Amino acid sequence: MAINSSARNQELDFPSSSGEWSFAITMPSKGICGSSAVPVSIYGMPAVANGMLCIGTYNGKVLMINPLARSQNLPFPQVRSGEWTYPRTEDVIKPIVGSPVIANDAVYVCSSDGRVYALDVNYGDERWKSDPLDGKLWTTPVVDGDTIYVSTFDGHIYALSTKDGSLLPWTFEAKAGFVSSPVLYKDSIFVGSFDRNLYAVKIGDNKPLWKFPAGNWFWAAPVVSNGVVYAGCLDGKLYTINAETGDELWEFDAGSPVVSSPVLAGDLLVVACDSGDVYIINAKTGISERIKNPDDPQSTNRPSIDASIRGSLCVQDGIVYVRAQDNCLYALDIDQGKIDWEFSLAIE
Amino acid sequence: MLNLWNLIILNPMLNGLVALSSLFPRVVGFGLAIIILTIVVRLMLTPLTLRQLNSTKALQSMQPKIQELQKKYAKNKQKLQQEMVKVYKEAGVNPLGCIWPMLIQFPIWIALYQSIMRALATAPENLLDLSRHLYSWQIVNQAIPLNSRFLWLDLGRPDNTLILAILVGGTMWVQQKMTTAPSADPKQQSQSRMMLLMMPLMFGVFVLMFPSGLALFWLVSNVIGIVTQYFIGGGWGHLRSSTARQSMPKQRGKRAW
Repeated sequence: MAINSSARNQELDFPSSSGEWSFAITMPSKGICGSSAVPVSIYGMPAVANGMLCIGTYNGKVLMINPLARSQNLPFPQVRSGEWTYPRTEDVIKPIVGSPVIANDAVYVCSSDGRVYALDVNYGDERWKSDPLDGKLWTTPVVDGDTIYVSTFDGHIYALSTKDGSLLPWTFEAKAGFVSSPVLYKDSIFVGSFDRNLYAVKIGDNKPLWKFPAGNWFWAAPVVSNGVVYAGCLDGKLYTINAETGDELWEFDAGSPVVSSPVLAGDLLVVACDSGDVYIINAKTGISERIKNPDDPQSTNRPSIDASIRGSLCVQDGIVYVRAQDNCLYALDIDQGKIDWEFSLAIE
Repeated sequence: MLNLWNLIILNPMLNGLVALSSLFPRVVGFGLAIIILTIVVRLMLTPLTLRQLNSTKALQSMQPKIQELQKKYAKNKQKLQQEMVKVYKEAGVNPLGCIWPMLIQFPIWIALYQSIMRALATAPENLLDLSRHLYSWQIVNQAIPLNSRFLWLDLGRPDNTLILAILVGGTMWVQQKMTTAPSADPKQQSQSRMMLLMMPLMFGVFVLMFPSGLALFWLVSNVIGIVTQYFIGGGWGHLRSSTARQSMPKQRGKRAW
């Protein structure tokens, strides 16, 4: 769905003429009563480049979408408008959980068949697919120049060539598997592990730069900025760690598992947790403010949003967009510290 | 209530299953862990199983007496009830004795089923949910995520090759046949014959619908049941007697047991 913040603020009918549209992605399903089209799950974030939108679906398809064609409700894919699907036929690859990444005129995406795929950004042709790196890859790859970094469930960080997907000489191996997607900052990779540690690995080294222990998995990819790592953990805490030394700067107890990656907006950090609470935290001091529920602002117990928050947060122009498990999109004004509007994503 | 269930039954079993799988090579770890845990659980339940077997045996041995009473008091249900209670009491047999051990086992089977399903964590939300149930033991966390492959099976998906369905259905039929005593009453006889076919068929269909990790548990459980029955119940039981009966066509119509 494409949602215009201003139109939602004015509570206009959806879709408004402000570039809003919705596009149902379905797959055929055979049931007892015959075949039907069922909605497809999407776990990752869409990648946006040159006005096009790329998504990976859980039924194993990569779609390049032209927002203009979708707003006109034209049949999909409009090849002349740059739209395509991979694979082109009815075939699918294994489920895609991580987000696609667009770089070097290519789309890079990991699949549950354990391979990384490189597709032509304009036509969706397969440039290459890597050898299987693991049983399944649920993470989002990191592209840095000619190199792709991928973390795997079996505890490896692989470096692949963007040219042909071949493995580059350096590989890092840990005893436990990596649960989160890797994040690249300067020359180090930061990634959460199933052994309840956050790893910092200097590219080229065989030993981690540091390991930071916590009470559960670092499910969400951490955010690294100005030499500080902000990592949400399933133990309900947000840890801020010195990126070079691994020393803890401060921690914030959100009281419920932090499943989504936090987002930074200037000096403010927005953290959402599974209970539905959203916090705005001063990234330097750790002083926090809990967002009040718009339906019950006086309550200190009612969560900010009456649903779990597990999806990725997105920030633009001082507004943080949160998709909660109640299938609603919430717009949170950071400066005012309140939820501006909410919009149901369920389409009849 | 749910928390108590998780704390006392589900979490220990789930963590045990994951810890066990870490002791074996990753390629076969989870499959072997299911097999071993099923054996361990069955061994722990042996006293209950024995009680159940003994109760069933005692009830079967009393069948002629019960049938006699049923004939005698066919028109007086109340008297029949009283006489039956008397007979059971005299023999020191509780007619519900074979049901209670079975009922007690149910929560353990459910926990085992939940443990297998949770440990496999086939979708991202399942994996996320798994994190709430795991202990902080290193051995457990290092084993995650588990490899769902075992032999030709993907333990998180149904086995479409029919092999497992036939094995589960077949072993269930053998196990039931060993313990089901033939009845002289034709009505009862046809009922038990129907049950004997229905259960294995039903479970055969379940195998095609449920993840093969669960089917593996059913298969191992059935095999252990057959072995237990063989050694404790004294050989192949009614399976052998029915085979013998079928090989003596001349005696058809007579009571061969």
